[in-house]
Amino acid sequence: MDHDHIIEPHTRTLHTRRNFLRTSMLGAAATWTLPIFLERTFASLDAMAADSAIQTVTGKDGPILVVLQLAGGNDGLNTVIPYADDIYHRARPSLGIAPDRVLKINDHVGLNPKLAGFKSLYDEGHLALVQGVGYPNPNRSHFRSTEIWATASDAERNDPYGWIGKYFDSCCAGADPTVGVSIGGETPQAFSSPTPTGVSFSRPEQYRWVNSKKADADQAFRELNQPDDAMMDGLGGQANEGGSIGAIGGSIRSELSPLDFLQRTALDAQLSSDKILEISKKFQPAVPYPRGRLADSLSLVGRMIAGGLPTRVYYVSQGGYDTHSNQGGTHDRLMTELNDAVSAFCADLKAQGAFDRVMLMTFSEFGRRVVQNGSGGTDHGAAAPLFLLGGGIKAGVHGAHPRLDKLDAGDLIYNTDFRSVYASILEQWIKAPSDKILGRKFPTLPILG
Amino acid sequence: MLPPFNIRQWDRVRAAHLLNRAGFGGAPEDIDALHALGFERGVDSLVKGVDDSEQFPKPEWAQPLNRFALRMEARELSQEERKLKFDEIQKQDREHQMALIAWWLGRMRFTLNPAREKLTLFWHGHFATSAEKVKNPYMMWLQNETLRRLGMGSFADLTKAVARDPAMMVFLDTDRSRKLRPNENFARELMELFTLGIGNYSEEDIKEAARAFTGFKFNDADQTFRFAELQQDDGEKVFMGKRGKFVGDDIVDIIMAQPQCARFIVSKLWTFYAYENPESALVENLAADYRKSGYNTAALLRAIFQSSAFYGERAIRSQIKSPVQFVIALSRGLDVGLPPAPALSGIMRQLGQIPFLPPSVKGWDGGKAWITTASLLNRYNLANFALGNGTMEIERRGKKRAANGPREIKIRKGPDLQEIAPTELRAKPQELIASLYWRLFNAPLDPKHAAPFEKFLSGKKMPLDDASLRELMHLMASTPQFQLT
Repeated sequence: MDHDHIIEPHTRTLHTRRNFLRTSMLGAAATWTLPIFLERTFASLDAMAADSAIQTVTGKDGPILVVLQLAGGNDGLNTVIPYADDIYHRARPSLGIAPDRVLKINDHVGLNPKLAGFKSLYDEGHLALVQGVGYPNPNRSHFRSTEIWATASDAERNDPYGWIGKYFDSCCAGADPTVGVSIGGETPQAFSSPTPTGVSFSRPEQYRWVNSKKADADQAFRELNQPDDAMMDGLGGQANEGGSIGAIGGSIRSELSPLDFLQRTALDAQLSSDKILEISKKFQPAVPYPRGRLADSLSLVGRMIAGGLPTRVYYVSQGGYDTHSNQGGTHDRLMTELNDAVSAFCADLKAQGAFDRVMLMTFSEFGRRVVQNGSGGTDHGAAAPLFLLGGGIKAGVHGAHPRLDKLDAGDLIYNTDFRSVYASILEQWIKAPSDKILGRKFPTLPILG
Repeated sequence: MLPPFNIRQWDRVRAAHLLNRAGFGGAPEDIDALHALGFERGVDSLVKGVDDSEQFPKPEWAQPLNRFALRMEARELSQEERKLKFDEIQKQDREHQMALIAWWLGRMRFTLNPAREKLTLFWHGHFATSAEKVKNPYMMWLQNETLRRLGMGSFADLTKAVARDPAMMVFLDTDRSRKLRPNENFARELMELFTLGIGNYSEEDIKEAARAFTGFKFNDADQTFRFAELQQDDGEKVFMGKRGKFVGDDIVDIIMAQPQCARFIVSKLWTFYAYENPESALVENLAADYRKSGYNTAALLRAIFQSSAFYGERAIRSQIKSPVQFVIALSRGLDVGLPPAPALSGIMRQLGQIPFLPPSVKGWDGGKAWITTASLLNRYNLANFALGNGTMEIERRGKKRAANGPREIKIRKGPDLQEIAPTELRAKPQELIASLYWRLFNAPLDPKHAAPFEKFLSGKKMPLDDASLRELMHLMASTPQFQLT
């Protein structure tokens, strides 16, 4: 475990798109004979503001957000349990969790018995739970509701871009492609932005172009994977990139064509793969992690943080929460996996001395119905709790627990709009203007200690 | 009917486009053959297809398993023996599932009826069902056969058959839906994802439809469908404004009577075969015919492939290849086989699409969602591998991963390079580049893109040796453009 190895400054600056394009064709040589289209492009890039070598918004020591999606609709009622409420036990004759098993937070609610690690974090002062999170006109479709959470849009609207993508767009223009990292298969919709931002991978050792390593093949490869002229003009970023957080780029850029999208992705892949490979070789997890996909993802995040990747937002996800039938065993298993993976991650961060820099947020597209169904499970619901944890968090319980005696067609009614949570994170943690990113102002919660 | 394609424009490029979209592309000879048939016979030959089912017999393990009897037998055993027995069954199931993936991909690769397999792939993504929850390779095979058998016929019949399909019943909990406590999962997805699209039904409709689908079960002994009358809620339901003692099939009939259903399916099929965000006038036109024909999917495909819009600017080279398309088209183009299971499953996982394992009941989002920085690099590396260059690293799963790290697989037999580029061709750089480009891209070479390849060849000895030839093709395939079809 090699924390003394700092990534040298010159390799860091190489990984801005402009620097990459200047140097990639040349190796270290100063004499260039560039293909004409690249020459023209450098001219247009120079016309814009000068390079800023370090992106202050995405600097190596800035705050980090880890978004953990619980996909499928986590049963909030069995996660943060209103153990003192009789209605809960009557509604869930077999699924209900007995009060003596609940890890009590206060006189009303407690955590699922499998969340012992979360309880410790709460007792230590590093975990907050937000109750009754949802939005007006709740949608019970996985895909539509996930989209609503991802885009932070009102339920009746169809905003195309993700809330994190909009943050990247307004505050991170010209930043390193690894400003956003998602671990796993697809790019999360929350990252989607007019120009694709962020990188995805699951196995860093394989995150590279394999070839014969002959110089001419490498060079040809780079040339073939340069974006063309029209694409290039859009690449440079805004005049006041990096430092001036308040300035928004302005016009919404049009959606890229499939080819432009591919070219931009190809460029980002090249830019990021060396750095990520390097880190993955030098840094191993500081603590043992349990087995499982979520633990693997978080362990990878831990290594990237240790390696100084200038990432602002990481995105990981855990699936399987759509428990329509035989929920008992499945939900136990999911809670255990969640608890153990996140606890290991926190221990990892503490060992690295990075715990104070990281905030982790869990969310799910909806909770589940109060009354259990005829298959020993629960159907799609609405409001649910979420967790915030990290060294900077102030422990506590935000929001009221939704009333079990006043339901909306069998579902819990929200009292905290999820965009308030986003706004709180954006304003207080990431220090970005939430009203511009989310479209309007939402009341915030005092989440920081 | 849509404005028809102008037959005078029929050329190899459009034949290639048809073959790639209706099927999985092919080598230059295949494109030539389709072109030679002429436009009308070409479309006809694809949609009608050749029945080559005997070439692809069902795997011998694909038999119903009497799991109920197994469980009864297991009661006689000690706890340890029982665990061993079920572990053994689980292990076999996993092997068979991987074999099934390879079976289907192999069929896509070698079938003489690619249009039928491509449509089966569409229906699989549409009525998405995952082996991860179903955990029964025989049932997954059974569903695949149902989609293949009924896919070209009436969409109404197909939907009713899918509602009774054991794998679907397990996946969406239909088999657990009881009279007094109906399970809404299937009813919701039926309307949201399979027939109407979100916003075209109410939550009440879902609840009532769920009641109509109670009583659907399958026999443990042989996984055939049965109707459990005692579990059926036979009361009156109100569904989409209609009142009656509806059962599952009635719900489907009422849905099919909605014009929105035809629009929804037409739009999805157009997106899959032609381009995203089809014009609403186009969708209306095709949807009206689709409904009139009784939801005849073969007729709809024919209409799509005969339209001018299908060959227009919005359609040509506008589609990002799905991982399955990428793998099969590359194999056909190079005339190579596929890696064996489980390496093949590992490759599909890295590319982001494993048949029989869609990420959710919504199937695969497709389009730009296929492309991330990682999946793009994986595609580049896979192309290299398919060309016979070196090895490919596949991540292991589960316990083996922790112990052993990724495994390397070597290709058994790369493409026949003499066939692809005979010696005489290798001495003529420009012709060679054009020929290889056509084989890989099925498109004419844009002079703008020739320069890097010419430069690559300029330092090399002619006639080009095998290693450099492979390298050249690898470079061609390691481009953003190669991802488009």
